[in-house]
Amino acid sequence: MARKASRVVDVRQAAEARTDVLSSTAGTLAGMEVTLRNMVRATVGREHVTIQYPEQRKPYSRRFRGVHVLTHRADGSLKCTACFLCETVCPAQCITIEAKDVDDPRIEKAPSSYEIDLSRCIFCGFCVEACPEEALIMSREYDLTALSRGPETLAYGIDRLTERPEIAAYGAGFRPHMQYPLVESYLPGEGPEEAAAEE
Amino acid sequence: MPIVTIDGRQIEVEPGTSVIQAADRLGVEIPRFCYHPDLRPEGNCRMCLVDVEGFQKPVVACATPVLDGMVVKTPHESSVASRAVNGVLEFLLVNHPLDCPICDQAGECSLQDFYMHPDYGQHPSRVDPVEKVHKRKRIDLGPRIVLDQERCVMCSRCVRFSEEVSGFGELQFVRRGNHVELTAFEDRALRDPYAGNLADVCPVGALTSRDFRFKRRVWHLSHTDSICAGCSTGCNLRIDHFEGRIERVVPRRNPDVNRSWICDEGRLSFRRLAGAPRLTRPRRGDRELLWPEAVACAHESLQTASTARGLPLLAFASASATNESLWLIRQYVEAAFPEHRLEFRLDRETEAVAERQDSLLRRADKHPNTMGALHLGYGRGVGLEGLVAMAEKGQLGALFMLYYPPLVGEESEETKERIVHLLQLVSESVVLTTHELPYLADAKLLLPVAAWSEEEGTYTNYQGVTQHAGKAVSPQEAVRPATDVLGDLWQCATAARRPTGSEHLFREIAASVPAFRGLSYAALDSRAATTYPPEGRMHYGQEGFAGR
Repeated sequence: MARKASRVVDVRQAAEARTDVLSSTAGTLAGMEVTLRNMVRATVGREHVTIQYPEQRKPYSRRFRGVHVLTHRADGSLKCTACFLCETVCPAQCITIEAKDVDDPRIEKAPSSYEIDLSRCIFCGFCVEACPEEALIMSREYDLTALSRGPETLAYGIDRLTERPEIAAYGAGFRPHMQYPLVESYLPGEGPEEAAAEE
Repeated sequence: MPIVTIDGRQIEVEPGTSVIQAADRLGVEIPRFCYHPDLRPEGNCRMCLVDVEGFQKPVVACATPVLDGMVVKTPHESSVASRAVNGVLEFLLVNHPLDCPICDQAGECSLQDFYMHPDYGQHPSRVDPVEKVHKRKRIDLGPRIVLDQERCVMCSRCVRFSEEVSGFGELQFVRRGNHVELTAFEDRALRDPYAGNLADVCPVGALTSRDFRFKRRVWHLSHTDSICAGCSTGCNLRIDHFEGRIERVVPRRNPDVNRSWICDEGRLSFRRLAGAPRLTRPRRGDRELLWPEAVACAHESLQTASTARGLPLLAFASASATNESLWLIRQYVEAAFPEHRLEFRLDRETEAVAERQDSLLRRADKHPNTMGALHLGYGRGVGLEGLVAMAEKGQLGALFMLYYPPLVGEESEETKERIVHLLQLVSESVVLTTHELPYLADAKLLLPVAAWSEEEGTYTNYQGVTQHAGKAVSPQEAVRPATDVLGDLWQCATAARRPTGSEHLFREIAASVPAFRGLSYAALDSRAATTYPPEGRMHYGQEGFAGR
């Protein structure tokens, strides 16, 4: 079969051809209708489509996989026993742990350093699933910014994975094996959006 | 000779061979805790129960000698043996703590592997964790070993090791039944210089290494087979490393050299490499050089100082160098300097090479390759002392030196003084070495070379056995293997290039040095030892699941 000769269209000419006043006005008005409808809904009906981020934030699911949290025992010590299972399972290899001996007779092993490089993390949650102690859970914190890509800025150590106020503000996220309610002061406090997310 | 059938496969073995040895030779897995090929069989763990045709009850494979026509079925084939082994395993796990996440043995633990095996493991537990009998944990047994009594399966490998092999006899069981405990008298620190092997023979996490404690989970480690460079015994070992850092060293079994053991000094010798500052760049006086410049400078200055003045060059290589480096030095010196001396003796290596330091493994000569140096034609002259005398009379033009600091023990003060003296006497000296050493500070030109574990090569031990040591980790950026540097020097001398891979060099050696005739590089690897338990056979991780 012979190939159909392609039709050459000058784009500028085609655009000019369509600039008859009637059709362009109709198009604009159709767009304006949507705008006006939403304006009325937002001003008169008080139904907002957008929110005033960052002053306002959307509540996310309790299964949201945000920035990690290292949880505590009731006495305030880290639950982590440095078993390295999260480091082993991590597909992005962004977890680095160093273990140490602990003097406490009930505890043998604890992390001397625990670091998650969040610039490499893909937030898959495998680390949380692998953790046998629920020492590592995820929060609903999602807005993560840094001013450079250097490892210092987004590589969070023990201090930033436990005590940051943001974690408390967002609340706990992904924790698949949670058998117990989140009491025992795992976190500094539950987030204000807790009730909203529950709906 | 008796012929035995194990799981349908026949093998002919020498009279007196045990069933488990015959099975190991066939490659049939029989689970075991107390049996160890280099310890007396004891038959106490009952894990190696097998079903023998004509016998009323299952028997232990480790303490049953084969008889002609014996038909043996292992737990893989026989439900009787499988039930028996499963019962044994369940008993062993009754009081075993739920420690795996913090236990250093996890990942190479026989108990874990056997429990996961579909043929005789994976039973549901009938014991409530709160009913378990608790014992003492984290008992300090000196600088090498940590004891955890709860994890012990009472196989007595460690007790037998310390009685039969090292002869110290520092461990024993006390109490009975549920309450039996492994203990050292009053928890005293072990004095055994071979104590590190206790952690290796322990099939579970009861005895673990203090040095490796909590450093890494074992499944993260990469393995490289190597040879200990701590003395002339040449123990076979495996270097376990992670991300370019050596984490630990464990012995490989070689019945002809070291059986399954290494001494603690050899085990920790790798710590020496990072213990002192390394030489990182070629250096002449205070000026750092780039490699091409440094190599050209080395060759020219040696030429001007020796050949041009009609004086001999002294090529000195320590007996810690590989056969390949020694061979290349000889090639280079013979090509470039008509008048030369080849020497390797700093001290009394040749007399000490076979001199025992104890009844087990350690030898007085702390160089791994003294025999290799002798075979390669080094040390036919006057020794370091004689050379110093020559230099004092002004009879030495220049010094070319490849020096490795000892990995075990220290260089004697006398030797250090001699080296300093020699370096001060000669007008030109080029020294290839690994570390910043105060007694080499007088060298005119210093070239950094790779240390043990950073380069591949062969060593010839006191018995004349040539063994292959692999490269485990990479040296720092500007540090090169000695063979590379020597290849460049050879190129300066002859204007021709040559391959410097250790396999190629070894082929050259085997072709031209009588002592190495007939050896092939590939065969060095295959005749070398295995790890125990044989790797890939006694570990049932993923395959166990897939098989179900």
